[in-house]
Amino acid sequence: MVAALHRPETLAEALGLLANEGARAISGGATLVAMMNASLAEPSVLVSLARISELRGFSRLPDGTARIGAMRLHRETAEESDLRDGQLIVALAARQIANATVRNMGTIGGSISFADPAADYPPALVAAHARVEIAGPAGRREVAAQEFFTGWYETALQSGEIVTAVLIPPAPAGTVAHYEKLARVSGDFAIASVAAVLQISGGRPAHVCLAIGGCGPAPVRVDAAEELLVSEGLTQAAIARAGDLIASHLDPLDDTRASADYRRKVVPRLLAKTLTALSRQPTDMS
Amino acid sequence: MTARLSVTLKINGAERTAAVRPFDTLLTTLREDLALQGSKRGCNQGVCGACTVLIDGRPVRSCLSLTANCVDAEVTTIEGLAPEGRLCAIQKAFVETGAVQCGFCTSGMLLAAHACLQSNAKPTADDVKRALSGNLCRCSGYKKIVDAVLLAAEGGI
Repeated sequence: MVAALHRPETLAEALGLLANEGARAISGGATLVAMMNASLAEPSVLVSLARISELRGFSRLPDGTARIGAMRLHRETAEESDLRDGQLIVALAARQIANATVRNMGTIGGSISFADPAADYPPALVAAHARVEIAGPAGRREVAAQEFFTGWYETALQSGEIVTAVLIPPAPAGTVAHYEKLARVSGDFAIASVAAVLQISGGRPAHVCLAIGGCGPAPVRVDAAEELLVSEGLTQAAIARAGDLIASHLDPLDDTRASADYRRKVVPRLLAKTLTALSRQPTDMS
Repeated sequence: MTARLSVTLKINGAERTAAVRPFDTLLTTLREDLALQGSKRGCNQGVCGACTVLIDGRPVRSCLSLTANCVDAEVTTIEGLAPEGRLCAIQKAFVETGAVQCGFCTSGMLLAAHACLQSNAKPTADDVKRALSGNLCRCSGYKKIVDAVLLAAEGGI
């Protein structure tokens, strides 16, 4: 097949082109072009999503949901002043992606479609109870972030489908967020990361959502650890037990960044750091 | 052989036309078709920052940008920072401070520094380090590079 780059202006046109055998969507190019340069990907037809205006915007839906278009740059999400309270977790994660130059290229849709388990958005979206909006040959659908990330670099996207937006539901009053990332050097992928969204009421956590990145094929959530922190509060003993519970549910690999054992040891410490930071944050309700 | 297509790019304020392959990167086009070799090919993976150029004033990796996707944009390369051979303040500060050793990272550093000062005229040393954190230098300890950007920001040149 003759190599071709298409630059459609509408989503319908893009989906039509992506229905062709061998066609791949390209958003910011930060990962796909690097893979092409290394001969790890050799697509025959690329469909650039750069000119499709409906994929670019940020908007707030009537119910308070923040809608982040798939082609929104990491820089734009990092600087989004309208992401507050619990929704802030997505901006906090965006600020820690790579470096300023790469944040000018990479997009939220591209990043989550590639689904590197050590990337920053996956745990943040899970902790925010985000939904992923998808369009494809069979129309549009939404998938909860937790069901979107299905395996090592695998997602719920079917052939011919692309991510069109990420939807962040409104968080209740008194909700605070913190993203804690451990990396070898600034801008690297995470050895491990913790995305936490807590609703604090009367000085106690009324709702806790914790998602761990870099420690398995997809972000890890452990219901029992979250319930423990709600029932016992943010005491040192409860935080330590929650950390142990989470560590026992991780499924990390040994890789160039760290060993699996190291990740199991460090996650409880990252969790303690996260919850200590959050318990010091002022909230409307505490 | 893959057919080439003619694209017109706006580079350093001038329109330049090149015959490119569909998946050519901007770095390849700059260096191999337009003889603008100030942008360096280091890792070709978006890691080292030696290929940094400005697109619409913001730093990006030219090794990860497809040329055909840049036709609507204003591209600034290192050659555009010193029109007619006159060094800009940041370049003079690099010379003054001794921030250049082998020079391979320098054009990317200068463009990232330029973008940093455009968005923040009075950065702290930490601001500069954050802005340059995507640009690797294998010769130096970065101190003189950061000093140079701060010197340029202070207007000391």
